[in-house]
Amino acid sequence: MGKENPAEKTLNLIRGRLCDPTFVFRPLSGSSDSNYSKLKFIVSTSITEGCNNSILLLGPRGSGKAAVLDLVVGDLMEEYPDSVTVIRLNGLLHSEDICAFKEIARQLCMEHHLLFSKMASFDENSQFIIAMLRECGLAHKTIIFVLDEFDMFAQGKQRLLYSLLDAMQSVTSQAVVVGISSRLDADQLLEKRVRSRFSHRKILFLPPSREEIDSLLEHLLSLPADSSFPSGYVSQFNEKIKNITSDSRFKDMLKTFLNANSTVNSLLKFIFRAVSSMNLESGLLSLENFKTALSSMQRQPKLEAVRADCSILELYLLVCMRRLEVKEQSSYNFISVMKEYKTIHDSFQTSDYYAQNVCLRAFEHLREREVICYAENRGQSQAGEYRPMKLLISASELHQGMRSHACCPAILLKLLDH
Amino acid sequence: MTREESSKVTRRSIRLASSVTDENPEPKPSHPPTVADLTFGEESITLDALLSNFPGRRSQILDLIRLIGPLDSPSLPIMVYGDASTGKTSVALQVFRHLNRPFVYSSCRTCCSPRLLFESILNQLLLHSKCSSNGYASAKRCDKPSDFVNLLRQALSDVMETLGRKSMGKMLYLIVDHVDLIKDWDKGAMILQFLFSLYSVLKMPQLGIILISGLPPDVYYSNMGYTDPLPVYFPEYSEDELRQIFLKTQVNKKLYSAFLDVVLRPFCRVTRRVEELSTTFSSLFRKYCVPLDDLAISPNEDLKRRLYSNLKPHITSSLNEIFRVSSRPHDGDTKGERRQKASYSSENGEELEILDFHMSTSAKYLLIAAFLASRNPATLDASMFDSTGGMDNRKRKRKASEKSMEKKEIAEQEAVMKGPGSFPLERLLAIFQCIASVGDSSFGEEEEEEEATGYDKESNNMMSDILLQVSSLCDANFMIKSGSCPLEGSIRYRSMVSEDLCLKVARSLSFPLSKYLYRR
Repeated sequence: MGKENPAEKTLNLIRGRLCDPTFVFRPLSGSSDSNYSKLKFIVSTSITEGCNNSILLLGPRGSGKAAVLDLVVGDLMEEYPDSVTVIRLNGLLHSEDICAFKEIARQLCMEHHLLFSKMASFDENSQFIIAMLRECGLAHKTIIFVLDEFDMFAQGKQRLLYSLLDAMQSVTSQAVVVGISSRLDADQLLEKRVRSRFSHRKILFLPPSREEIDSLLEHLLSLPADSSFPSGYVSQFNEKIKNITSDSRFKDMLKTFLNANSTVNSLLKFIFRAVSSMNLESGLLSLENFKTALSSMQRQPKLEAVRADCSILELYLLVCMRRLEVKEQSSYNFISVMKEYKTIHDSFQTSDYYAQNVCLRAFEHLREREVICYAENRGQSQAGEYRPMKLLISASELHQGMRSHACCPAILLKLLDH
Repeated sequence: MTREESSKVTRRSIRLASSVTDENPEPKPSHPPTVADLTFGEESITLDALLSNFPGRRSQILDLIRLIGPLDSPSLPIMVYGDASTGKTSVALQVFRHLNRPFVYSSCRTCCSPRLLFESILNQLLLHSKCSSNGYASAKRCDKPSDFVNLLRQALSDVMETLGRKSMGKMLYLIVDHVDLIKDWDKGAMILQFLFSLYSVLKMPQLGIILISGLPPDVYYSNMGYTDPLPVYFPEYSEDELRQIFLKTQVNKKLYSAFLDVVLRPFCRVTRRVEELSTTFSSLFRKYCVPLDDLAISPNEDLKRRLYSNLKPHITSSLNEIFRVSSRPHDGDTKGERRQKASYSSENGEELEILDFHMSTSAKYLLIAAFLASRNPATLDASMFDSTGGMDNRKRKRKASEKSMEKKEIAEQEAVMKGPGSFPLERLLAIFQCIASVGDSSFGEEEEEEEATGYDKESNNMMSDILLQVSSLCDANFMIKSGSCPLEGSIRYRSMVSEDLCLKVARSLSFPLSKYLYRR
């Protein structure tokens, strides 16, 4: 047990790093104009000066908003122990007012070792929260409310936001509301009475620059020189990483990947995939790992469905539907597709002509796979054969998929073209 | 011959085993559940055995194992997706058997609401089993995602502690099967979004999440957006892989291989799903073996040829029946299912004559009347069913001009789109009376007058009976109520019967259906 394979240990270490957002975002927060310093400045002034504040963190999903906030909160907890309380809510879970108040009360009780009553009513909870805000303010303790998925709280009557922000208007309270949202217009969703109480401070999270990505890669992938690894292995591994990252092919790959999605989290997934396919025998990463990772990350599910999953009969049906679309027939159902299928069979004498019930079943398969779907949801009284259908796959995808299909008959490709 | 059954058995036993170990009941009273039950429970298997158990899934298995990673290493959420019966669930579970690590498996197929899903996961984590002593209650009552997160966090940290004490690693995995079904749930979009972001909400890297879905990740994109898990794609089996799968559990491999040479290619053009193929192949193989006395024989070329020519007529017919057995494994008792069965089998010549269910004569007439009312335009009723009994010979149509042809084509297209039309009850009854009288008159020509009037008299007291028949036809799904017409306010009906079935019914009454059917 004690003698562990260094390769496996490396793998564990790097995977652990990739799954730990605080580790990932630590180096990005170093400079003085980073979001980390901005956020920390705002929150720490409200702690030291005992004032209220509200901030919105905006940026695309996976750009590290929550991670940076966690970093800030963690550091502040160390700096000012006993005077910071963090209440975390998530719009996905607590978008209902009753539920949100209950959760706040629960977390406050946990924090201050009070007895939490599940049976407490909405009113009792909200009075409790306001009382707690006042008490904390008098004791110079700051409560930080973290509202993840902030836009979800802006649905409905926004009672939670209103009562939080309204309570913060009083001098005695001392709280910070931090909203996190991927909607850039999140503050526009607020009602007038809420908006007027909101401070409109916003911090925008942008995708990392090229230099930041380079330093991030090194930060994530290089092994520490000290510790328990055999020293020769560490230098060998780090040398290999340096070789890979400076390779122009790797740079191209990274560029194509970041063109699709340039957030830090998607980059992490890409690296995770590459690292987990590391060769454990040699214990080194290779360019090949990143190549396979790229191909398995950039999938085209619809194309794959045609290429690998569809049988010949299903391809016939897809081609028939496509032909009907080309003929500018406004809508079509199974019966009209079968008609087209029959005309094709009559004029070309194909070997694949099956009974209607077989085709219907193939049709159902296609529908299960969501390659096709019913054009409208109403009209369920009508039998499935008569409900209008539509293709969910583009012509080029169909074309490409059939071309790379293992045994697609040549006649079908011809039929697709005209 | 038992190949298919045994393949089913192994497949079942996999699921059964998993459900016994972690999902539920009857742990022997002497054996209180422990964290050890969270592992697969049986002996772990080697990688080689795992790979040979799943022909054609080598790269997927290796990919999955790599993504799950070595012992104690945290993992990002993974999504396994692919078509039905491509081995997603079995591979995932057997991979855990190979790795021998603790996991929790819940399927959205059995847990059909958020509450059931949450409680099933919590029950397994809390090592709680529903039994008669606790009134089959769950360990915790939980139907909101917010409660679930709190309870899950609590349960996870407890389990982790125990796992740590028993040195069983630091990771626990959560497998959620059939995620695609959640889409149809009430508020399913919310639950899906919650499930996809569970990893970032929990912030507990000790929990590895594996989602298994029948649909590719792109169907889950909504306007809300979330960070999607790492995809692992299970494609449909290729022909060679299917051959390996079917041969794997065969006793006489040579004979079966000869059989597969004949059948696999044509059937693969229709479907490549193992479950569908296996049911068809089992019956076909029985036919294939009919001329043989000794099933252990290894066939030579001559014998193969003979067997093939023997089987050949069956192939085409069962090609057209391929889904019949698999889609309806038991003969249904309701008429609706029989109707579908009847219409499915109607393609076969020899079965065309036989109607495989019983109906009263008046119900048959009603069925035909409903079919006619749905297919014929209402304006033509008068000319179809006039006193001459629809025998009128329509005037020869004039040569159609180009424009009228075009119009006709458009009308035809519209008719196809609309499907069978709807009709009020009065029209149905009127047509019913007309055709019933015609049908009777065909028995005895000379009694025509009498018979017709007699029927009229009778029909008055039979009216309630007819209405009963209509409602029972509705129950049997031969006809459906298609909502009321906003102008008239009366309920309209629609016939759901296929033309083949109706022809069959008409033939059993020797009723000239085609004469009354308006053809465009």
